[in-house]
Amino acid sequence: MSLELASEVGNVVLQAGEAGGPALSELGAAAIAVGLAAFGAGYSQRAIGAAAVGAMAENEDLFARGLILTVLPETLVILALLVVILLL
Amino acid sequence: MSTTGSSNPEYVNARVRARRAALFSDDEYRKLVRMTPSEIARYMEESEYEREINELGSRHSGVDLIEYSLNRNLAKHFNDLLGFSEGRMYDLIARYLRKFDAWNVKTIMRGVYSGADRESIETDLIRAGEFDESFLDRLLEASTIEDVITSLDGTIFGDPLEAALEDFEETDVLVPLENAVDRTFYEELLADLPSSEAIDLYREFLEAEIDFRNARNALRLARSGADIDPAEYFIEGGRLFNARELEGLVQSPDQLVSTIRDSSYGRELSGPLDELEDADSLIAFERALESVLLKYSRRLGNVYPLSICPVVAYILMKEREVENIRAIARGREAGLSEAEIEGELVIL
Repeated sequence: MSLELASEVGNVVLQAGEAGGPALSELGAAAIAVGLAAFGAGYSQRAIGAAAVGAMAENEDLFARGLILTVLPETLVILALLVVILLL
Repeated sequence: MSTTGSSNPEYVNARVRARRAALFSDDEYRKLVRMTPSEIARYMEESEYEREINELGSRHSGVDLIEYSLNRNLAKHFNDLLGFSEGRMYDLIARYLRKFDAWNVKTIMRGVYSGADRESIETDLIRAGEFDESFLDRLLEASTIEDVITSLDGTIFGDPLEAALEDFEETDVLVPLENAVDRTFYEELLADLPSSEAIDLYREFLEAEIDFRNARNALRLARSGADIDPAEYFIEGGRLFNARELEGLVQSPDQLVSTIRDSSYGRELSGPLDELEDADSLIAFERALESVLLKYSRRLGNVYPLSICPVVAYILMKEREVENIRAIARGREAGLSEAEIEGELVIL
């Protein structure tokens, strides 16, 4: 599956190369950067969210603290956005 | 829940830590030591144990009420653990909690053997293991040891018990059956654990638990001077002893103590060992073993928070709480002095 995808991507890159421009436009690269940052944030939120819900299940007063800790990794996405905006 | 799929260590760990924080602190034990059993029950009613005390208050009173509420609360918490863990986590927790299945099987066998009535056996069960209500009820209905063993067919205890049945029929003592239950539990506990850094340390911890158990049994045998084959009580899987070594060591308690002192546990146990050599009492040493194990599990839980380690630390701490409160209540009832009761407690 992933191999097929890789060769597919290779074809696309080759075709783009024939046309003369870079394989990835600046906008495309920026999109990938934000996407990867968001993926990282999501991955870390999986664990934090699970732990926060667990803590809330035991003690409802922890809702605010759990929420803050859960959204902390969002700063990653904000940073990525910032970098992209500065570069574009 | 199932043993397949991904595990959820984060969620389990958060809940376990919250419950750990709700345990009685060492200061509270000191307060409890000065209370009478009914005061202890009232104190418990205002804590974690409110529901159990209220539920059982009409049927029992005094120390019995305390004891049954403790057991019921323990069972509730440990069943919760199984309820909210998934995947590999569930598997590992269930393995450890089979301790209570082993306890229940032994209690039922002892009850049937001594001819106790169903109700009195039932109150002594701790419904925290993997066996569910209906299965335990079926076991309780058995009227002979053979019936109990037949009902256990299909569980992990089935085959080893059947193998030990012959021994039991020859000698008419429960020892071979009880040993079969204990051994099966520890074998299953250590059998094909997955390999990762945290699990490797967890295995070391379990081996330490087995070592301590063997050491305790050996010391008890050596002290009592009873003519029992130590290999009968030996549990495989530890690092410190093997069955043949232990047999020789039971003959000479001094050598046994020095073996423990030279082992990797020597540093933690040197204080209690000195005490053991000076005084003639095993009680302090056994309490010291428990507290060393407890500290060990707590340290592991802090090093690897997203693994089985903190859960096992919690299980041990909860058990300690139950044993401590029971010791206080029973001690007060028997009229022991505060100092004597504090000697029975495991306080870190």
